Amino acid sequence: MNGIQIVLITAVVLVAIYFFVRLQNSILDFLLLLAMVTAALVFIFLPDLTNAIAHRMGVGRGADLIFYLSIVIFWFVIIKLYVRIRKLEKIVTDVVRKDALNEAAREHAG
Amino acid sequence: MYYSEPLRRTFIIIPAFNESKSIGRVVAELLPLGCRIVVVDDGSPEELRSECEGNNQIYYIRHKVNLGQGAALQTGIDFALKQGASWFITFDADGQHSAKDIPALLAPLFMEQADIVLASRFLAKGSHNAPIIKQLILKAGRWINYLFTGLYLSDAHNGLRAMNRVAAHSIRITENRMAHATEIVAQIKSQHLRYREVGAAVLYTPYSKNKGQSSLNSLKIFFDLVLQKLFG
Repeated sequence: MNGIQIVLITAVVLVAIYFFVRLQNSILDFLLLLAMVTAALVFIFLPDLTNAIAHRMGVGRGADLIFYLSIVIFWFVIIKLYVRIRKLEKIVTDVVRKDALNEAAREHAG
Repeated sequence: MYYSEPLRRTFIIIPAFNESKSIGRVVAELLPLGCRIVVVDDGSPEELRSECEGNNQIYYIRHKVNLGQGAALQTGIDFALKQGASWFITFDADGQHSAKDIPALLAPLFMEQADIVLASRFLAKGSHNAPIIKQLILKAGRWINYLFTGLYLSDAHNGLRAMNRVAAHSIRITENRMAHATEIVAQIKSQHLRYREVGAAVLYTPYSKNKGQSSLNSLKIFFDLVLQKLFG
């Protein structure tokens, strides 16, 4: 085992523990996370495996393949976050508006 | 006066954020019309309440936090709907519109010829004195508006509009920030509202130029529109 493997494995294990401790509600989330952690560990332990897959897909190196895939995944995550932010914004707007209207109504009643 | 009764049932909605320098003047200019005035203070750090007191024609509403002009307009419209308004005007707080244009905007509504009337600086008599860069951006805005809404209007982002209850009910602004102008146009189209454009000069005072949207802002509006189109 070389240095980068130790660093990566430690990081993945720590992140996994953090999420498994916090995550209690959804079985689907649990399975997804489990699959991702397993995949990460397998690829870290067997770097040649990623190379083999990469060659099959017409990519020069396994590391490059991982890089391309993570760009796509990050894109997806950003879009999810954007949708989430818009939803939150709508909730905040509704609350602030309701409060403003109630206050105005009270002032003009009394 | 012939119009005095309908004007009493007209609510002028002024979204204001940090406009303490101009809001008093704007309100004072509007009062003689006899309309009700709704100032929506969009969470200004310094409350604008004191500028809006002393007259029961004026209503003051305050957002506790800053949400954006679109959100402030919607709050004002909701309030006026609840107060039983028959006609609604949106008016910018920075003093770039003139109260004198309001009767011309309302006339097509009173005569039942339109549900919503949009002011256009390009249809106003006499040349408008917008800076060149601003003119170019507004022209680009027309086309972008057209692409997003299917309605080609001469003035894409003019804060001065008048509408009746039908329009006020059917338009729902969800774009909190500046993209609401395009959103309103899109809903005119999708709700099949009868619309009309009326010329109204825009005064580019040093103050309003300074307060108004910077040219960079139009890029932000564009991205808001694209994102909204893609992800709702």
